[in-house]
Amino acid sequence: MTAAPGSFAARAHPFTPLVVTLCIAVVAIALPGPAAVLYLYAATLILVVLTGTGRAALRALVPLAPLWFFLVLLHGVLGDGEQTTVLGVALSRNGLTLAATQAARLGAIATASLALYTSFSPARFVDAVAERGWPFSMSYLVVATLLALPRFRARAASILEAQRSRGLRLRGSPLNRARAIGPITFPLLLGALAEVDERGFALETRAASGVTRRTALAPPPDTRMDRLTRWAAVAAAGSAVAWRVLG
Amino acid sequence: MSALEMQGVGFTYPGESAPALVQCTVHAESGAVTWLTGALGAGTSTALLVAAGLAPRHTGGQRSGQVRTLGLDPAGHSSPGSLGGRVALVLSSPATQLSGIAETVAQEVAFAPANLGWPRERIHEGVARALAILGIPHLAGRDPGTLSGGEMQRTVIAAMLVLEPELWLLDEPTSALDAAGRALMHALLRTEAARGAAVLIASEDTDGVAAVADRLIVFEAGRPVLDGRPDDLLRGDPVWNAGAASTTIAALGRAAGIRAPRALTVDEGVAQWAR
Amino acid sequence: MNARLLALLPAAIAINLVVGGLVNALGLPLYLDSIGTILATVLAGPAVGMLAGAIGQLLFGLINGYQWIPFGIIQVVIALLASVAAAQGGFRSMGRTVAWGLLTGLVAGALSSVISYVLFKGVTATGTTAVVTLLRQLGWSLPAAVTASSLALDLADKAVAFAVVGALVRSLPGRMMGRFPRAVRAVGR
Repeated sequence: MTAAPGSFAARAHPFTPLVVTLCIAVVAIALPGPAAVLYLYAATLILVVLTGTGRAALRALVPLAPLWFFLVLLHGVLGDGEQTTVLGVALSRNGLTLAATQAARLGAIATASLALYTSFSPARFVDAVAERGWPFSMSYLVVATLLALPRFRARAASILEAQRSRGLRLRGSPLNRARAIGPITFPLLLGALAEVDERGFALETRAASGVTRRTALAPPPDTRMDRLTRWAAVAAAGSAVAWRVLG
Repeated sequence: MSALEMQGVGFTYPGESAPALVQCTVHAESGAVTWLTGALGAGTSTALLVAAGLAPRHTGGQRSGQVRTLGLDPAGHSSPGSLGGRVALVLSSPATQLSGIAETVAQEVAFAPANLGWPRERIHEGVARALAILGIPHLAGRDPGTLSGGEMQRTVIAAMLVLEPELWLLDEPTSALDAAGRALMHALLRTEAARGAAVLIASEDTDGVAAVADRLIVFEAGRPVLDGRPDDLLRGDPVWNAGAASTTIAALGRAAGIRAPRALTVDEGVAQWAR
Repeated sequence: MNARLLALLPAAIAINLVVGGLVNALGLPLYLDSIGTILATVLAGPAVGMLAGAIGQLLFGLINGYQWIPFGIIQVVIALLASVAAAQGGFRSMGRTVAWGLLTGLVAGALSSVISYVLFKGVTATGTTAVVTLLRQLGWSLPAAVTASSLALDLADKAVAFAVVGALVRSLPGRMMGRFPRAVRAVGR
C-alpha cells in the first residue's frame, strides 16, 4: 500500500474502497454524458485527493492520455455532423461531445481503480475476510496473485538480462524479435511450474486448504463511517442505474 | 506405536517405469532422530513425501504397502492434508516454501497456526518463541522476499516449529544455511526429539547429522539396505558399498587404506592414527 | 480448493499479466496475455483455466482501467477452446498446436471486435486503435476497421500463445508431467 499513512484510505476497512470503486464504475457507465460524467470525474478526483490517494489521479493519466488522444482523433476528426474549429483543426461537434463523455468515463474508472490499488493492504484484506468467516482460498488467491506480480516481473527482467548477455537479439526484424519469445518465456514458465510443485507441498502441510475458519491476526476495525460510506456508494450506484433505466 | 510406520511400501511416480521405492520398511520413533541417507535418486526424498501423504496425493503415481503417519494413512481421503499441523515438512529450497501472502516474517511464521484457527494470543506467543529459537527475532518485521537464503530457511523452519509438531520430515534442510545455521538446526533436532517429537531427516551432511542422529537408515535404489546406529554403520564399509558416504574423517581413512572400524571425528582420528 | 490449485492459480495469473509486459519490451504487436490461461487449462482443466483468465483480466482491469474487464469473457472462451484442444491431443506437435491456436484466434478475434465496438465504439488498445484510425482514413467503415484489425492481431497472438505452451509442455520431464495427467493427454502420450 502506498497511500499516505493515517489518511482515510489507510484507515478504512478493506472492503470500503473496494465497494466505493465498484460503485463509481457503475455510476460512470450508467450516467448519460457529457456533463454528468464530467462532474463524476471531477468528484472522483476530489475524493481521491481527500482520502490520501491523490497520486493515483496523476498516475492514471499515464494510460489515459493516449486513450484520450485517440478518442478525439476517432470521434472528433473522423466523426460526422456539424464542424467546429479547435486550434486550427476542424473537429466534429458531436464527435467531441462523444469523446468527452467516453474520456470522462474512462477517467473516473481508471482513477478510482488506481486509487484502490494504492490503498490495498494484503494483510488487512486477508484478516478482513477471515474475520467475516469467508473461505480462505478467496483472499489467498487475490493476495497471492497481487504479490506474485512484482516477483514474476523481477524474474522476467533478470531472465531478459541474462539472455541478452548471452547474445539474444532483441532488436531487428519482427521475425528476429519473435524468435526471442521462446528464450524469454521458457525459463519463466519452467521456473513457475517447479515453484508451483513445491509451494503446493508447503501450502498443504501448512493447512492452507483446510476447512477450519482462519484466525484474523490483526482484524481491521469496521467503523460506522465505513458502513455508511459503503451504503451511500451502493445507493448512489443504484440510483444511477434506476435513473438510466427509467429516465 | 511409532510416529511413522512404513511397511513394505512401494511407490512409482507417474510417467516412470522404474519404482522410486521398493519394499520400503521404515519406522520413526517419537523422541528419536532418524536419519536417512543414500546416493542421489536412492529414494530418501520420495520416502519423506510418502510419509507426508503428498505422494501420491499431489504427485500422482502408485503406492503399495501400508503407511501409518501418527496413526493415520496420510494419503487417505478422510485425513486432512496437513494432519492438522501435527506433521512438519521442511524442504531444501526456502523460497518456494514461503506462503506467498505474508508481508512480514512474523506473518509468515503465523501462516499455519492462523489457518488452523489458533487463538490470536497463542499465535503471537508461538511466533515470538519460534523466532527467538531460530535466532531471527530481529527479522520479525521484514519482507520475506528481501531475506537471504539462510534467513529464509530459518523463517521456514520457524514457521514449522511454531506448530510444535509431533513428526518432523526434513529433506536437506540445511543446504541454504551457513555453518552457524547448520549447528543451530542440528541442535534444534535434538531439542525437538527431547520434547517427544519424532524427527526424520534426509541429509547428505554426514558430518553434521552424525552427531545428533539416533538411528541411520541407508537407502539404495529405492530400498533401505542398512539400518542401525550411526556410530556402528559409519565406521564400516557397507555404508560406502551402498553408494552413500560416511564422515569426512572416515572418508579420509578409507582413502588412506585404513580398515574398518574407522575413526569418525578429528579427535578419534588423531587418537587412532597418531599411534 | 486444494493446495495445488492455490499454488497454480496465482502463478498462471501472474504469467498472463507479466508475459504481456515482456512482449511489450520486445516491441511486438502481440498481447500474449493468455499464456497463463492456456497453460493452466492444459495442466488442470478448463475450470482452472477459466478462473485464471477471468481473475487475471479482472486484475488487469483494476490496475489499468475497468474498460478492460469485459474482455475476460474472451479469456474464458480461450480456456474452453484450449481444453477441447487438450482433450483431442491437440498439443501433440507444433503444427497441430498452431492450427488450434489459429482457430482460437479466429473466435477470440471475432468476440473481441464485437466487445470493442459495442462497448467502446472502437477505442481501447492504442495499438488496435491506431490501425483502426488508419483504415478509417482509407475509407473503411468503423465496424469493418475494428473487426479487421482485431482479427489479424488475435490470429497471430493466439497462434503464438498456443505454440509457446505446446512447446513447453512437450518438453517437460516425465516426472513433472506425470503430476498433471491432463497434460499427458494433451501431448498425446
